[in-house]
Amino acid sequence: MSPAAQIDDLTFAHPGADLPALEQVSLRIPAGESVALLGPSGAGKTTLLALLDGRLHGWRGRVSVLGVPLDPDRPPPRASRPDTGFVFQEFALVERSTVLRNVLNGRLGRMSPLRALLGSPTPHDLEIARTALADCGIADLAERRVDSLSGGQRQRVAIARCLAQEPRLILADEPVSNLDPTRAGEILALLTGAAQARGATALFSSHQPDLARRFAQRIIGIRDGRVAFDVPSSELKDEATAALYREAEPLPGLGLRAVS
Amino acid sequence: MGPRGFGGFATSALIAGAILWSFVTTDVELSRLVSAGPRIADFLGRMFPPDPTVMAEIRKGSAETLRIAILGSLGAVILSIPLGILASETMVSPALFRPVRTLLAFIRAIPLILVAMLMVGAVGLGPLPGIIAVAFHATGMLAKFYAEAIDGVSRAPIAALESAGAGPLVRLRHAIWPQMAPVVARDTIFRFELNLRESLILGIVGAGGIGFYIQTYVRSFQYDKAASVTIAVVVMVIAIEALNVALRRRFA
Repeated sequence: MSPAAQIDDLTFAHPGADLPALEQVSLRIPAGESVALLGPSGAGKTTLLALLDGRLHGWRGRVSVLGVPLDPDRPPPRASRPDTGFVFQEFALVERSTVLRNVLNGRLGRMSPLRALLGSPTPHDLEIARTALADCGIADLAERRVDSLSGGQRQRVAIARCLAQEPRLILADEPVSNLDPTRAGEILALLTGAAQARGATALFSSHQPDLARRFAQRIIGIRDGRVAFDVPSSELKDEATAALYREAEPLPGLGLRAVS
Repeated sequence: MGPRGFGGFATSALIAGAILWSFVTTDVELSRLVSAGPRIADFLGRMFPPDPTVMAEIRKGSAETLRIAILGSLGAVILSIPLGILASETMVSPALFRPVRTLLAFIRAIPLILVAMLMVGAVGLGPLPGIIAVAFHATGMLAKFYAEAIDGVSRAPIAALESAGAGPLVRLRHAIWPQMAPVVARDTIFRFELNLRESLILGIVGAGGIGFYIQTYVRSFQYDKAASVTIAVVVMVIAIEALNVALRRRFA
């Protein structure tokens, strides 16, 4: 089985940035596991996730996602994009549409172009969307407009949309950063549980080591765009996470790193 | 020289020069200006009392004006959808949206009455040139508004749908349209109101509508009838205004 993602010697700088956001990153995300990306703000977590989603270009190195090499100069072919699902930090939902519409938006890449344009889902599409809603515990919100929901409910809609896409790799950018600890645990349980039930790989970023330990089988620490450690979560040492978050020595340029 | 310096002085001199130039070169004798007051009073006197027997003409004329405004607006919406997309930086490259925006600016620069005169020359008298003129003229503004509405939406859902494998038109339909719909409704109503207001006078150049009667009655010295039609136009403008206020509340 090919890994969910294979990254070799990846370096990337945001346009106009002095320092690279990712530097000589080599990683292997095993298929079917839940993996946490741990690191302080600005470490390059969002950048790495967006890059795996095929949304960045101009990087150097070799990156394969779900066995298919990414082209550093152009977006991935549209047909392959639904295989990689993304849960955006700010949810990226269509506020004025209903919950069900938003979740069905996750199906658009799987529909025929005409059906997608007309917004006319098949019964199969609807069933998958309803299952995703139920799995996320928001079946009763289906007809509500997103702009009437709370932050926690929106996060569930964002996850449901991603699940409706039937991705084999789920990338989640700080899925619990805005939630209280109880809700954060619920959401991560939901995300990793749904991924596992579907045989999908989940890669989520977080800056909370305890949550990462609880919900990921593997934890990758990144700091200043470099991989600090990559260990099974049972082997994660407190010193390692402490080092990850230790204040930077006042080197010139530090703190000016492009934050994405 | 004052604190605004030479720039302020130059501006004042320019304005004074323009006014003087207009006075000196306009072929109006002061005596005519003085007698204009009583003449206007006399003219207004002959408008009273307004002749109420022209209700049938008013009804016919305003119905035609309404039709011109509705069909002209419909034409403008149909033209503005593709042109609005082609003028938006979200949907197309600068190589495309820049020339389209320039084209729209040119269209906006031509006054409606001028377009109507040209269309009367091209297709003859009646409401058809009025409809074509309104559709053409309104597209210059409406397509620009639509493009701005597209470019004004939140980008995150567009990126999310792209990540899910949706193509550009599908993103327009499902990520952009739901966000821009209220803006489109508001802008379209606003433009319809302008179309209705502006097409009231199209009849003066033969392009159909109630303006035709104002022109006919003034030319045949039936000022009391012209007064009735003018009052009808004023009432309609106020009614349009009131309707617009109500609709804006609805779509706010």
